[in-house]
Amino acid sequence: MTAAIEIWTYRNLIYNLAQRELRARYKKSVLGWAWSLINPASTLLIFSLVFGVFLKQTPPDFGNGDTGVFAFYLFAGLVVWNFFNATINGSISALQNSGQLLNKVYFPASCPAIANLMTVVLQGVIEGGILAVVMVVLGNVSVTFLLFPFTLLLLAPFALGIGLAVSIFNVYLRDVGYLVSIGMNLLFYATPIVYPVTSIPEEKWGLPLRTIFSLNPVAQFVGWSRDAFYLLRWPSPANVAVMFVVSIGTFIIGWSIFSWRSKNVTEEL
Amino acid sequence: MTADIPAIRVDHVSKSFRRYKDRPGSLKEMITKFRMERYENFRAVDDVSLQVEHGEVYGLVGHNGSGKSTLLKMMANIHRPTSGTITTDGRISALLELGAGFHPDLTGRENVYLNASILGLHRREVDLLLDDIVDFSGLSAFIDSPVRHYSSGMFVRLGFAVAVHVNPQILIVDEIIAVGDEEFQRRCFEHLYKLRNNGVTIVMVTHSLEIVRTMCDRAAWLDHGHLMSEGRSVDVVRDYLAQVNDAESERQFELDRERALVEQEARFRESPVGEPAERLVTLGEIELIDHNGRETRYLETHRSAVIRVNFSCRRPVQRPKFSFSIETQAGVLASNQGTTPDHGAQPEYSGDGSIEFVMPSVVLGPGEYTLSVAVHDSDGTMVVDKKERVITFRVGTDLPFTGVTDLLGSWSDPQFGVS
Repeated sequence: MTAAIEIWTYRNLIYNLAQRELRARYKKSVLGWAWSLINPASTLLIFSLVFGVFLKQTPPDFGNGDTGVFAFYLFAGLVVWNFFNATINGSISALQNSGQLLNKVYFPASCPAIANLMTVVLQGVIEGGILAVVMVVLGNVSVTFLLFPFTLLLLAPFALGIGLAVSIFNVYLRDVGYLVSIGMNLLFYATPIVYPVTSIPEEKWGLPLRTIFSLNPVAQFVGWSRDAFYLLRWPSPANVAVMFVVSIGTFIIGWSIFSWRSKNVTEEL
Repeated sequence: MTADIPAIRVDHVSKSFRRYKDRPGSLKEMITKFRMERYENFRAVDDVSLQVEHGEVYGLVGHNGSGKSTLLKMMANIHRPTSGTITTDGRISALLELGAGFHPDLTGRENVYLNASILGLHRREVDLLLDDIVDFSGLSAFIDSPVRHYSSGMFVRLGFAVAVHVNPQILIVDEIIAVGDEEFQRRCFEHLYKLRNNGVTIVMVTHSLEIVRTMCDRAAWLDHGHLMSEGRSVDVVRDYLAQVNDAESERQFELDRERALVEQEARFRESPVGEPAERLVTLGEIELIDHNGRETRYLETHRSAVIRVNFSCRRPVQRPKFSFSIETQAGVLASNQGTTPDHGAQPEYSGDGSIEFVMPSVVLGPGEYTLSVAVHDSDGTMVVDKKERVITFRVGTDLPFTGVTDLLGSWSDPQFGVS
């Protein structure tokens, strides 16, 4: 609780760190902010081409009954993945890059990661907004759009919790950062993003494979984003309740690990 | 803020750091010890207790690596003590580096907001202070250019301008006075004095004992993490200087011994005054003795001192003439003193002896000097033996004068309306 109050007193710093990050990000580039859209757009293009055209993944139909378009199905999932990925990797580099500053001025060591989360949220809201506009143009509209902000609301503490925990271990052992990038790569393909959930066999080698894959919380969030913008349906209340517990629980555990290990973090940075 | 609670209380504080070894342990070590010993513990601050009262200017002195900056960082909450506690009372602002967190790609104005928020100011407060900050820095023409185009001086000036407007209750300053040009330093000081007069508690680390003596009410001296002395700043500075000078003296002895060896060899090769065996009088050890009667390489102004010249005569000789000269480091002759032809009661010298030059009060100014000694024949026409630059010594003072010598005068009260 005291930690929360302390973070609150440093909200100005967090805001300014986030602002610094955003302002500095595209300085000295001609296209500037356009890069924050060009990057995901290029990923989207490549994945659509490889998985949609070459590997012929078939997307489900839109929530309004129209024939599905793989690129948008993919995009709805990528928004969540980008958010998760940018939070984890951003937390690691944010803490590492704040070493010099943390050695000169006192502020809670979690501030850089929280500031990073703010920039990620902004990016996520923009990407979600674009997706919403596209869906409106396609006539695939519903109140389920409101599920998207709620998804980000639960995804944020989940991702931040993991991000804080790995970022603090990375300070002591740089191997953690490399392990995380491998792990994220694995997780990307373990999550039904470039393929629909339905392409995972229900059972294989005597294992309920699809159920196992759906235990991955990121897969659940990806599913929610698709429910919101593409399939236009609500997740079950039980599912929401479970994810709520998972998200808050992950955050509390990650935060505790961070607080426990960050006591002498300035010496190691 | 309450009157009876000190601004900062440091209570039996120790701090250990891990000193990492670069070389990875051997495979055998890894197997036998299970976990590699990648570091050893190193104690930077060892059981230090002190208190800084409200409204006080407190100095921390000590040589490099004494733990004073570590202590400062613990006061600023950047490092945590390994054991012991530090309690503070009041809003702390730490100036460990000016312009910490400036982003080179952002403009001066954007960095002011960023830096101020790092130091704990809110956006609205900065809005109000922005004009003052820009004025103080004198950078209004450049405030909207990225700071990567700033010179290092401009960078520091902007950093300081932000820092001094934060208005802390406790200010922690590390060596910032050492940066910037004279004009900037003057403004730093003016501002620190102003803060002090406003009742701000200031803790500072500095290498300038002059600053400690003039600005600080109290001070602490740390050496290898131990608290050596704590109290009124003048007393602490004196204790510190005494130890530093002892160490300095020791080093100088070593240098002089080495030089003597070299010169001895040189003398045998090319003697200016004939072969040693043929000299009637040879100079022995030259001693410089301080007011405590100890041999030294450090003298204090207005304390007594003695130069003792040991000599030996090969056979009885008619009264020789002794002289010495003291030169400054730049080679300027500070003084040349010699015995008169009719000096002393004995007309004839024989065997081993010594002669002393007694100074009741050293009037040399602070600095480094060399001493050369010579012995002449009775007329003073021929040098029999000499030792050039045999001793290098320092003179220190806590009196307000510089130059080669103290004129031993004093200033009168000013007179008005006389002429």
